Amino acid sequence: MDYLINSLNAALTMILHMDQEVLSAVSTSLFTSFTAILIAAVFGIPFGAAIGMWQFPGKRLTVTLLNTLMALPTVVVGLLLFGLFSRQGPLGPLGLLFTPWAMIAGQVVLAVPIVANYTLAAVAGADQRILPTAITLGAGRLRGSWQLLLEVRFGVMAAIVAGFGRVIAEVGVAMMLGGNIRGSTRTMTTAIALETSKGEFAFGLALGIVLMSVALIINLFLNMMQQR
Amino acid sequence: MDSLMILQNIELQRGDFSLHVEQLEFKKGRIYLLEGPNGAGKSTLLQLLAMLMVPTKGMLCFAGENVINASQRQRLRRQITLVDQTPYLFDASVYHNLAFGLRLRNISGDLLNLRISQTLEMVGLSGFEVHQARRLSGGEIRRVALARAMVLRPRLLLLDEPNAGLDREILPIFEKCLATLPGQGTTVVIASHDRDQSRRLGGEVLTLNEGRLLSTSQNTLHQTLLRETGTA
Repeated sequence: MDYLINSLNAALTMILHMDQEVLSAVSTSLFTSFTAILIAAVFGIPFGAAIGMWQFPGKRLTVTLLNTLMALPTVVVGLLLFGLFSRQGPLGPLGLLFTPWAMIAGQVVLAVPIVANYTLAAVAGADQRILPTAITLGAGRLRGSWQLLLEVRFGVMAAIVAGFGRVIAEVGVAMMLGGNIRGSTRTMTTAIALETSKGEFAFGLALGIVLMSVALIINLFLNMMQQR
Repeated sequence: MDSLMILQNIELQRGDFSLHVEQLEFKKGRIYLLEGPNGAGKSTLLQLLAMLMVPTKGMLCFAGENVINASQRQRLRRQITLVDQTPYLFDASVYHNLAFGLRLRNISGDLLNLRISQTLEMVGLSGFEVHQARRLSGGEIRRVALARAMVLRPRLLLLDEPNAGLDREILPIFEKCLATLPGQGTTVVIASHDRDQSRRLGGEVLTLNEGRLLSTSQNTLHQTLLRETGTA
């Protein structure tokens, strides 16, 4: 028990004194995750909305595929993108492997199915009168669809938060594509894995606390928006 | 030209239900009351008139224009507004609900504000601009939906069962609003079970049953068609 309490004390001290190692891992995590979720939202929201709104042959299969992609193992995504970005791979000349951009690419692949699926669910569950109402007031299909997305904005925000939760907490992609390079691609999750294995439990705990706090702040923000 | 919309030999299939209209004309600045039992096709006909549905057969003319393609429908829809029997208000303020259609018609600034406040006054909801649509009562929702349609000053206003759920004391205010519309050049088509409403508003009654138009007092349609489109 003393070990846990002492570690917690040490972890809180590191956070309060803004330990450089902790700060570096936190900023790398936040940068890669925010960038990835922004890109994933740009692709995932219209994709999910389109599937939710339109009827087309193969819709059921598309939804099943999207559901399957939500459970993609992070190491498999890491492995596939490693093949693409490695020196012998087709995107090797870009020199992205072991940079934050390779991690962002992997995280986008992880987040798009989640954002799209949650958006799809929000749109499919929306009031059926929204689109005809917008159209009868003079909107075209595109403006009407935008209005529908505005009406289900909390569902769309939940999609973004769920996607963010997935990418900020994942280890596989960050480890395989980032390489856990100190000061460059070391994120909170890879640092926790590495430092704990080296016996630096307090350091891992400090990052764990920050990680949980980020998740808490985002969920509180979402809750606050919903209550407005 | 005092004809606004003409339907001829229209057929529309919607699942098991089919709507047939041999000939029907709506004149400018008139009130029409669509009556008939439940399932007679009143709502379907309103959706057809709102150009939300495309007929499988027949000719539909609006303001002298034969409506045949989607881009025409989208353009002409800006002159028509349908208020559903269970209207949906956007999850925003009353002001934003009324501003939605006006902004699509490039109306903004002071003119937009003036039209919104004038229209809310007409439906007895002065000062309701800042109210959130989700917090309104059933009767208020109906009046905001009517105001949202009226603020656009459509040439054709379609109302599906507008009296349903309306407070008894509100009905005279509501009918007073409707009665002013023909004077502004708006044609109003009301689907309603209330036959007295037609008498009160001085409108023409159209009776529908099992998807067919049973009676109208229109007998000059053929001549109108010949005169206005030259295609009949």
